[in-house]
Amino acid sequence: MPRREGTYGLLAEFNTPGELVHATEEARRAGYRRMECYTPYPVEEAAEALEFHKNRVPLVCLLGGLLGVTTAFLMETWIAVWAYPLNIAGRPLFSWPAFIIPAYEWTILFAGLSAGFGMIALNGLPQLYHPVFNAPNFRNGATTDKFFLCLEAADPKFSSVDTRAFLEQFHAVSVVEVDH
Amino acid sequence: MSHGHEHHGGAGHHDHGPRVLPASLAAPEEAIKAWRMRLLVVGGVATVVSLAFLLVAGGPGHILRAYLMGFMVTFGFAGGGLAMLMLQYVSGGKWGLLLRRPLEAMTRTLKLVALMVIPVLFFMKHLYQWAAFPNAQATLEAYKDGLMTQEQMLTANAKHAMLSPTSAIVQTVIVFGILLTMAFFLNRWSLQRDADPNAGSQASFDYWRIKFENLSGIGIFIYVVLLTDAAILWIKSLDVTWYSSIYGLQFLVGQGYQVLALGILTVILLSRFQPLKTLLRVTEQHDLGKFAFAFVMLNIYLCFAEFLIIWSGNVPDEIPWYLARIQGGWWVICSLDFISHWLIPFTLLLSRDLKRNKQKMILLTCWMIFARCLDMFWLIEPNFRDAAGNLHLSGNLGILAYITVPVAVLSIWGAYYLTELMKRPLMNVNDPHLEEMLEPEHAH
Repeated sequence: MPRREGTYGLLAEFNTPGELVHATEEARRAGYRRMECYTPYPVEEAAEALEFHKNRVPLVCLLGGLLGVTTAFLMETWIAVWAYPLNIAGRPLFSWPAFIIPAYEWTILFAGLSAGFGMIALNGLPQLYHPVFNAPNFRNGATTDKFFLCLEAADPKFSSVDTRAFLEQFHAVSVVEVDH
Repeated sequence: MSHGHEHHGGAGHHDHGPRVLPASLAAPEEAIKAWRMRLLVVGGVATVVSLAFLLVAGGPGHILRAYLMGFMVTFGFAGGGLAMLMLQYVSGGKWGLLLRRPLEAMTRTLKLVALMVIPVLFFMKHLYQWAAFPNAQATLEAYKDGLMTQEQMLTANAKHAMLSPTSAIVQTVIVFGILLTMAFFLNRWSLQRDADPNAGSQASFDYWRIKFENLSGIGIFIYVVLLTDAAILWIKSLDVTWYSSIYGLQFLVGQGYQVLALGILTVILLSRFQPLKTLLRVTEQHDLGKFAFAFVMLNIYLCFAEFLIIWSGNVPDEIPWYLARIQGGWWVICSLDFISHWLIPFTLLLSRDLKRNKQKMILLTCWMIFARCLDMFWLIEPNFRDAAGNLHLSGNLGILAYITVPVAVLSIWGAYYLTELMKRPLMNVNDPHLEEMLEPEHAH
């Protein structure tokens, strides 16, 4: 990974969630994608404006489930048919009805674990350092009564001049450049 | 969940503001009448085609069996609708308020369903062995003539107290009597609730909530007992030797499945017009989709658990029931049942986008209702000697009555359901959840 240096993004501070949501929706409409909202409590409209629900957690969960069901079923088949073939009440060695329940349990287990750990991984956690804390007004505001929108420099549409002008049109309390 | 939106109101936030309750909550009569006309036409055509099977060899018998199947599916809507109505009274929730009037309309069709049972009772000796040979003398003769096996003779004698023509009529009358009484009160109170002079006050909310809860709590229990009896009497006893303690619950879950499918279908179709255009939010549709998903899961859980237990036990008393439904071509129906009933709804309902999409949910709920019918076919037809472990079409064209007769029965029932649906405003207004339903939507 290349060394991170320079500008991380532009952080706009708002007094109300309404202004934050409005700015976020406009930023999305203007073509920005690499951005994040920081609020002291969950603001569902902000999540919607970020299209927060379109993420890869469901896919990771589905793949985990499929992996679980395949693994369990193949393992049981291998054990019952080749590794330890036992005659149980004269049934065929490949008695698939008996395999269903463990396979089902493994589906749930793998799907649940992949959803949980997948979510953590996709969030980039654990993360010991985050550049937005370099902004002087962030540390206090984001946990009490301020609402922040950060447009990140990694976005192809980002330009330190135009993006600042774009953010300032929303009457933000401040627009601060955040360094890595 | 309601954080922050009170701060909104600036330009560009029109979709976040609270919505206004439509002036009229009446059902869109013209649209419903058009749907009803379509159902009546389909029902009429299906009836005429069904009558043609009277001329086919084995046709009349199959028409009767197919009628039993159609009857049981409509009973599923009416009785299951009653159970779901009581469930939403005890659980509360916006989904329940949204479905309340469609569910009430389903329970009001119980009158028709009670009339529909009469042909089944009238012709019962053509359906049930215990009715054809109603006493020990008759079963002994049937055994001697090779019409009954020894086991069937002995079990029919042992179960005589429950399975005899008189007892069957008494049980049917009791089942419908109690269900109709409960449906009557729930429907009456619902109108009185809206007409309450104190409507909108906390006292009124509490009074009605407690009143409905007091009947619904015990009512659900009574329903489960009655349904267990009815399912054993009408369907399970087609095979007099068959035992299964999960039978009533299986029907209960199956009814929840079909009632939710029809309920979702109804509210989505009605949401093309006011008042549900305003009142059906994506949030509640999504919740109902998740609820339907739970029933899809629970249904396969019970069906498979029953199979697994019997397969593990491998007792000669029990396995013929499954063998008759797996061997001789029934494997195809059995697999199709599994695919239609579980695999397709399960995989599709996993998707968040699909649960929130109206058009796709319309198709899926129709499919789920079809799947219930297919399952009922698989439960009913292999009970009969000519079909057990031997699914065949040649020389047996009458089996096609299983397509036309249930279509006729369900269409005519559906027309009556729509008639009942039109009679009341589509929303129960004296309910605290109504205000929440008018709140702006949130993503979940």
